[in-house]
Amino acid sequence: MKTKLFSMSRISVWHAVLVGILGAGLYSTYVRFFHGLGASTALRDGFPWGIWIGFDVMCGVALAAGGFTISAAVYVFHADRFKPIIRPTILTAFLGYLLVCVGLMFDLGHPWRIWHAIVMWNPHSVMFEVAWCVMLYSTVLALEFSPIFFEGVGWKKAADAVHQLIVPLVILGVLLSMLHQSSLGTLFLILPTKLHPLWYSPILPIFFFISAIALGCGMTILESFLSYRAFRKRIEMHILSDLGKVMAVALMLYLFVKYLDLSSRGVLGLAFQPTYEGRMFLFEMALGVVAPLILLLINRVRRDEFGLFAIACMVVLGTVTNRLNVATTGLESYAGQYFPSWMELSITAMIVSVGFVAFGLAVKYLPVFPKEELEAESRLPVPLLPFVDALARPLGRPVMTVFVATVVLVIAMSTLAYSGLLARKQVTAEPPVQQPDISAGLAEMNFREVLITKGSESPGQVTFNHATHVDMEKPACADCHSQRFRILKTTALPAKVDMHDDQHCGSCHDGKKTSFNVSEDCETCHSGQ
Amino acid sequence: MSTASGTGRKGILLDTTRCVGCGACYQACKEQNQLPKTADSFLQDNLSANTFTVVNNRSGRFVRRMCMHCEEPTCASVCPVGALQKTASGAVVYAKEKCIGCRYCMQACPFGIPKYEWESTFPYVRKCDMCSGRQAKGLATACATACPTGATQFGDREQLIGEAKQRMAANPGRYSGHIFGLEEVGGTSVMVISDVSAAQLGYPDNLGKEPLPQLTWNVLEKIPKAVSFGGVLLGGIWWITKRRQEVAKAEGKLRRELPKREEL
Repeated sequence: MKTKLFSMSRISVWHAVLVGILGAGLYSTYVRFFHGLGASTALRDGFPWGIWIGFDVMCGVALAAGGFTISAAVYVFHADRFKPIIRPTILTAFLGYLLVCVGLMFDLGHPWRIWHAIVMWNPHSVMFEVAWCVMLYSTVLALEFSPIFFEGVGWKKAADAVHQLIVPLVILGVLLSMLHQSSLGTLFLILPTKLHPLWYSPILPIFFFISAIALGCGMTILESFLSYRAFRKRIEMHILSDLGKVMAVALMLYLFVKYLDLSSRGVLGLAFQPTYEGRMFLFEMALGVVAPLILLLINRVRRDEFGLFAIACMVVLGTVTNRLNVATTGLESYAGQYFPSWMELSITAMIVSVGFVAFGLAVKYLPVFPKEELEAESRLPVPLLPFVDALARPLGRPVMTVFVATVVLVIAMSTLAYSGLLARKQVTAEPPVQQPDISAGLAEMNFREVLITKGSESPGQVTFNHATHVDMEKPACADCHSQRFRILKTTALPAKVDMHDDQHCGSCHDGKKTSFNVSEDCETCHSGQ
Repeated sequence: MSTASGTGRKGILLDTTRCVGCGACYQACKEQNQLPKTADSFLQDNLSANTFTVVNNRSGRFVRRMCMHCEEPTCASVCPVGALQKTASGAVVYAKEKCIGCRYCMQACPFGIPKYEWESTFPYVRKCDMCSGRQAKGLATACATACPTGATQFGDREQLIGEAKQRMAANPGRYSGHIFGLEEVGGTSVMVISDVSAAQLGYPDNLGKEPLPQLTWNVLEKIPKAVSFGGVLLGGIWWITKRRQEVAKAEGKLRRELPKREEL
């Protein structure tokens, strides 16, 4: 393999960016593990899950959807024309799951106890299902990926052995992946009162599943273009165009079911209200479903390299937005605003960058892409980004117009969403404080008399009378019963204690405040025998 | 004031009409659980990892906030390792040594009760455990023991429901007639009676009678069937498409061979 990972001119820029991201990420990692989640994240009691769950876990799993979509197509449906792209999709799925696992290590309070899920079962928990899906599917993906590795290092026999098992392995993988994709939606089924009605739906698992298929196709298209650019390894355009068709079917189904769901729950109107949630929902739908669907239905666009690239970008970004909306935006109306801290963002950026580097290294050193194509393509000059290339052609211009229109749409929506956010902030006005009527409670007041143990030099027994010490306008038990007079063990005062000191009776009975001084008239208190 | 006795499920009855806002329950809870001071006034305090109960002024009523100890706790249902459990006495307790720190309990609790030790490097979930330790010794909860007016009362849940109904019958003008927690999310061990609605007291008023764990269980219980069905379906598709491919191959071969035979 003669191709270089990056050409010389790009090394300095990309390497500097990478080093910067890694540096910031490593610092944040240190803060996370040595000073805790409070010091490193914007998470709080009302917002226990943030970007590490919303992006690293939810999107990591979603991005791996290409793996199960393509391996099912090739091994189960015998759609052999997709065979050339099966390896890059399995590689991406494997890396996606590593992103999930690493993200979880940062997010969990006690990551080293992750094995607890294996021995301490609770089948009623969706998280339990998720944990098992992550473990099993990561194993399956590692096995599916292993032949690529074995071939790369020249262990032919091992590769053949795994290949014997590939069909049951793929079927298991597809089942696990389908379960996992949908279970991430199931996680939120238990939040009917917290998640905004635009996202809370009894069929959330179905939405997560359908969108995962569309996203899986989108990721595969994106990857093949990016590898084409970086490594001059290209996938036949007609295969990608077919993927586009699968994506169109998935998006159409998604749109149809989404419409039925929203209208049957009577919340369709919320989407068009000028609220933060409404805007974010339209944003997600326009970018990830409607715009790409319209573009896909135009043959000229679907068969165009740049057109397909633009569509794939939209679907990926739209689905990522959807996952983030479900995990964070949709909860803000209940729990208040959340925006990740820079440390949360830098750790996510670090994990994603490592994923990209790992993808690059795997493509460089392992037989991920078919060999014949590699040799044929390596003679071609390195192309620029497909869309720069596409601009030069007449076919590219209408597509570019659509793309620019989408970008404008995105910016407009973001602005509107932000204005919705500002509007919400201003609404919070404090209601006037109303003083409670406590007369009924006072009538029930049960005062206890406390006998204080008589000391050896005491002139007489003291009986503490609650009734004379409580302000009936504003009873405040907690004022006295803080540290000195324990509320649960009032009789267990230390045996030898000077009750006259400023820690006990003397703290109030000092003659200065409303009360008399402890040293004045003994009889007042020491009236007993 | 009753103490823990018998085998029945325990509960706590909160009566906002009797509360004088003295903060005895707040202080007793802090003392019992050895929690540090978190605010100058309990009225301004919020639930946190170091505060398991507060008394707040809501709509001109003193209202307590604490773990409701649901009959079918959402937190216990969502915990992947079973760290949260409903005990026979009705308390929902937390086994910190099991917890992996996923915080799904905090996300799922409809009352927003479980809190986290965000500042700790070994953080745990914290919340009221209905004084399980005291209950084991046959004592009432610290908050109920400290309450001077009976606004917080501890006892058998069934008896407390009777007590609540009795109070409402004896003084119809003083209560709204609703026992919050009798049926909400399948019932809670802690119940609230007041002259105003739950919403005015700051409690969620959009909870149905169905326990929330049912929402996820409806899906989870279908998994074994779905997996076996899916496995058979995928296996079937694999077999059919493979067969079709083989047939197509054989036919193609035949077609290529046929003209040769005709030449003979």
